[in-house]
Amino acid sequence: MTAKFWKRFPRKDLFECYQCARCTGSCPAMEVLPALGPRETILKCLNHGHDEVARDEKIWMCCTCNVCEDRCPQMIPITDLLIALRNAAARRGNVPDKLLMAIELVAKTGRSMIVHQLDEMRAHHGLDPLPPAPVDEIREILKKTGLDEVVEL
Amino acid sequence: MKDNIKSRELKPNDLRIGVYVCHCGKNIGGTVRCAEVAQYAEQLPGVTISKDSLYTCSEPGQEQIKADIKEHNLNRVVVASCTPRLHEPTFRAACESAGLNPYLLEMANIREHCSWVHLHDKDAATEKAKDLVAMAVGRAANLKPQLELTVPVTRKAMVIGGGVAGIQASLDMADAGYKVYLVERTGSIGGRMAQIDKTFPTMDCSICILAPKMSEVGRHPNIELMTLTDVKAVEGHIGNFKVTVEKKARYVKNECTACGECIEACPQLLPDEFNAGLSIRRAIHIPFPQAVPSTFMIDMDRCLNNHGIVACDRCFQACSKKCIDFADQNKTIEVDVGAIVVAIGVDVYDPTALTELGYGKFPNVITTLEFERLINAGGPSGGELIRPSDRKLPTKVAFLQCIGSRSKRSNHYCSNVCCMNTIKDALLIKEHWPETEIYVYYMDIRAFGKGFEDLFQRARREGVVFVHGIPGEIIEDINSGNLTLLGENTLLGAPYRSEMDMVILSVGIKPQKDASDLQRLLNLSTDTDGFFMEAHPKLRPVDTTTGGVFLAGAAEGPKDIKDSVTQASAAASRANILMSKGEVKIPAITSRIDPDKCIACGLCAKVCPYHAIEGSKEQGYYEVIQPACQGCGACVPECKLGAIDQTHFTDAQIVSQIDEALANNPGEKILAFACNWCSYAGADFAGVSRMQYPTNVRIIRTMCSARVSPKWIERAFLKGVGAVLVSGCHPADCHYNNANKQTAKRVERFWKRMEKIGVNKDRLRLAWVSAAEGSQFAKVITEMAAGIHNLTPNQIQSSIEKFNKSLTKKADA
Amino acid sequence: MKYALYLGCAIPIKYPGFEAATRLVCEKLGIELVDLPFSCCPPPTSMKMVHYDSWMALAARNLCLAEEQGLDIMTLCSGCVNTLKEANHILRTNETKKRKANKILEEHNHHYEGSIDVTHILDVLYEDTVVERLIKHKTRDVPLKMACHYGCHYFRPPQVMYRGELSAAESYVPVKMDHLLSIIGVEPMEYSRKFLCCGSPLGANMDSDAGYEITRQKLGYIKERQIEALSVICPSCFEQFDMGQIVLARKGKEKYKIPTFYLTQILGLALGLSPHEVGVDVHRIKSKKLLEGINIQ
Repeated sequence: MTAKFWKRFPRKDLFECYQCARCTGSCPAMEVLPALGPRETILKCLNHGHDEVARDEKIWMCCTCNVCEDRCPQMIPITDLLIALRNAAARRGNVPDKLLMAIELVAKTGRSMIVHQLDEMRAHHGLDPLPPAPVDEIREILKKTGLDEVVEL
Repeated sequence: MKDNIKSRELKPNDLRIGVYVCHCGKNIGGTVRCAEVAQYAEQLPGVTISKDSLYTCSEPGQEQIKADIKEHNLNRVVVASCTPRLHEPTFRAACESAGLNPYLLEMANIREHCSWVHLHDKDAATEKAKDLVAMAVGRAANLKPQLELTVPVTRKAMVIGGGVAGIQASLDMADAGYKVYLVERTGSIGGRMAQIDKTFPTMDCSICILAPKMSEVGRHPNIELMTLTDVKAVEGHIGNFKVTVEKKARYVKNECTACGECIEACPQLLPDEFNAGLSIRRAIHIPFPQAVPSTFMIDMDRCLNNHGIVACDRCFQACSKKCIDFADQNKTIEVDVGAIVVAIGVDVYDPTALTELGYGKFPNVITTLEFERLINAGGPSGGELIRPSDRKLPTKVAFLQCIGSRSKRSNHYCSNVCCMNTIKDALLIKEHWPETEIYVYYMDIRAFGKGFEDLFQRARREGVVFVHGIPGEIIEDINSGNLTLLGENTLLGAPYRSEMDMVILSVGIKPQKDASDLQRLLNLSTDTDGFFMEAHPKLRPVDTTTGGVFLAGAAEGPKDIKDSVTQASAAASRANILMSKGEVKIPAITSRIDPDKCIACGLCAKVCPYHAIEGSKEQGYYEVIQPACQGCGACVPECKLGAIDQTHFTDAQIVSQIDEALANNPGEKILAFACNWCSYAGADFAGVSRMQYPTNVRIIRTMCSARVSPKWIERAFLKGVGAVLVSGCHPADCHYNNANKQTAKRVERFWKRMEKIGVNKDRLRLAWVSAAEGSQFAKVITEMAAGIHNLTPNQIQSSIEKFNKSLTKKADA
Repeated sequence: MKYALYLGCAIPIKYPGFEAATRLVCEKLGIELVDLPFSCCPPPTSMKMVHYDSWMALAARNLCLAEEQGLDIMTLCSGCVNTLKEANHILRTNETKKRKANKILEEHNHHYEGSIDVTHILDVLYEDTVVERLIKHKTRDVPLKMACHYGCHYFRPPQVMYRGELSAAESYVPVKMDHLLSIIGVEPMEYSRKFLCCGSPLGANMDSDAGYEITRQKLGYIKERQIEALSVICPSCFEQFDMGQIVLARKGKEKYKIPTFYLTQILGLALGLSPHEVGVDVHRIKSKKLLEGINIQ
């Protein structure tokens, strides 16, 4: 598992981290939640291994705003690391319920939103009804990509 | 000495070669089985004795060589050890003292080019070392004794750059009795040190200790100070440079006493560069009060009277001594010098690009250089600590470290001076305004020098707070102009939001923007960061690869004042040695033309980058003007008749190396030609950096890549080589006046030929590798090795045949 | 000028007003739009984080649909542009990932080649010819003090989103919306932490209170500059500011009352469309008074 994970993300990129905290200093999520933050994420990956980090629900406290990567003096691809970590976390069942519901919605309807009386609402703005998304094709694709590792399809 | 040479002229079967394989402790011995290599060498043709020793360069090691030369009557010596760029002079001296001509020494580089780059493959490294020794023995057999030409040294020097390093170097050489031209491009000497308020760690007043040295330069009988002057061209070589400088018009005569009558009269205002733009000056101005020369100058770009656009002559009217001279003109001056000291200093990093910090947008975010002027008694606020937005005394001040340093977004190196500079600045504030709260946001504090740690401790005792964690962002309060820093205190593991009155960015330093111009003029090398490269990082730290050119100060790498002064004295001392000797030996590597073979076609003269070949059809032959020839060898491959050869890099010598290199398994090998100054040095650098690359490359050194003859490449392919690499300096960086243009031309011609006869042209590669690009060299070799990995013996055989065929065709034609 | 219009999910379903405004504005500015059976992009904030391969496959399918028509994609949402542009970039440069995606899509008769580009409507509107038409067809000015909010995914990571336009050392600071609005008489205002996240992904994935706390900060910086209205180019950011102000008021936090508009809605007003036509009448924070103040009814 570990070797596979570091195949997705080159571990050596993390060795260059100075722990200067410019990333966490820019992190909006850390201002409002006890988030892990990129700096601590990197440090823990190096010292405790990614497995422990992937089990921590705090890795989901993130705006995905990419500022951390933007400010990093070492140009560490932080976003890629966080994606790899969260993907690993999701496979272990560590994923917030709200997020899981959103994923299920995409798998079921092909879209990430659903509202009542959509046609009426669109008509109010002079728009035609929205044609349905090709749900079957999408579900087929998602089966092949292995989304059932995370949600039931 | 001449008799010596005569007595040792030999017939081929009289060869008596001594081979010495050095373990270099574990450096070579840890990877290469040296005893096995020595044993292998013993059976090579012409070898009389072969030994391995722990450290051949040591006193006993050298004594052994000397004793063997006498006892066994050796007439050639091969030392297999480190790069010849390091110890060739050592072993040449040893040979000479034993009565052997120094040009009869040959070295095999089994450290930088073998053991260090193949650390994990002892078998292959040992086999490669054997090949390298065989190549050296083959070349040694073809070596000839040479006499070096001695030329007199001009006992004058030029110093480029008038900062503290340039000042110190000038004074040291002038005091030793040599004439010095000190060239400074601004209106006054003094440099960065003149701008700084106090120095660390002693807290001396910077200008107070610098000003006496500046005025000493001004009045020294041996120093000719040339301000507002740029170096335009450099010709010649060690001991005899001809430098062309352009002295810009000052528009004020030397009689100026800097009384200042003119200032009030001048209507043109602009930001004062010396005060980092924090105050204004006039178009007529003196850079700063202590300036040397103490003469006003007119900034003609801003003067109303620029080429008479507006007939403003108010300064002329105001000057009672009538020193203003609008007719002043730029002058071009040529000077002859024997040595040049480069002390052009550094630039300051501009943090505008880091938009999150708001520099340039928030008035209370300033740089350390601006702060130095702000707190200086001669500065815009008269030494009062004020913040720019409202001129009030700040009570909470933050310093941000590593701005523009240790970052791939700007400069990846440590700027060396910022930590101590911040600590000094913090203490300065504490000294005068002890109530001020000071916070230093850092990632590492580097207090490594003498007295530095004491200063750091003092700052801590005085209550300066050090916070680990550099802010990610700064927010300005629109009403108060105060600044909120957002960041994480990593030691507490807690985010902070700290409101400050003023933020000082501790900006790093970087090479001067136009350092590359001088680099080209003087054929210097730069490291990957853009600083000038030393000839050897440990043992020749102030020499450059260009003889007679020395480095002083931060142009060589970020440095504080003390280190700059130390290095300046070292550079001056190196130049003084050269000048006091009064003569210098020119290596015997020049080209020679055999007048009997020459048909006076003149092709060689056309490619000579130094116009050192003269002759005519009438005369019937061309000849090389020996003192003018620099020894690049670019002319040799041009001669179709073989009438030219380069001393000590003869065709016979190189061909013997090629043949030995490709004696076994040629199809698996890469033959690399590397120029002495860039690519061979780059391969050395790969070794020093322990960059690992495939073992199947064999490197042959030439002085310039332009020496590489298509005949050699052809011979390699006829021998069945896997691939050939021709490598030299980057096109504009050639150490022989762009001789490597010829390299590119010849390689391209060879590619066309390969295409024509149907040989894959990827098997010949041309690569520009600088002395700092060890990684590039390793990359090229790795790629080439991958390229020949799938070559079949059939393919190699067929290319041999194709080349043979094309040769026969040529002969028939 | 012809694009495959990528509506995404939030705009046609939650904010059809944006769609209506966009279609009308594009018609007036000579941008031809083609509708295709796209699916969810899917968002870089959810699917990419949970299951990268699924994210890539769906994005690749959407790219294929436009490629089959030989059309570049124009998106209306920062999230969509981020997904489609990044996926397009990765598939173009990474042969292995391209092969993997094509293996899955081929069974559904799609094949990705990498011949089209993806852009956001802001970049299209900023093109010289469109700006010229905007100036020509403009019927009135909208003299409001407005703040622009770009949305993180529109421009980060800049190396992917604006490759070729900048060197690695530079910070990318988007300006196109500010410039565009100044053409129609808007006074674009600077404010602190302009490029701070709106808080939406944090709210949607984890904790809506925490998300709105970020929104509150941002609104505070906007309010302190006496800014009258906000312009956005992403439905998620819009929801965070529009709905967010109601939520924050309900929670007893400050009442900001700063109307928020989608970019094409304001442009539509300048092109002579009515507030109802561009659909601003259904926004939670009402703009009626503000617009009446500048004679737009």
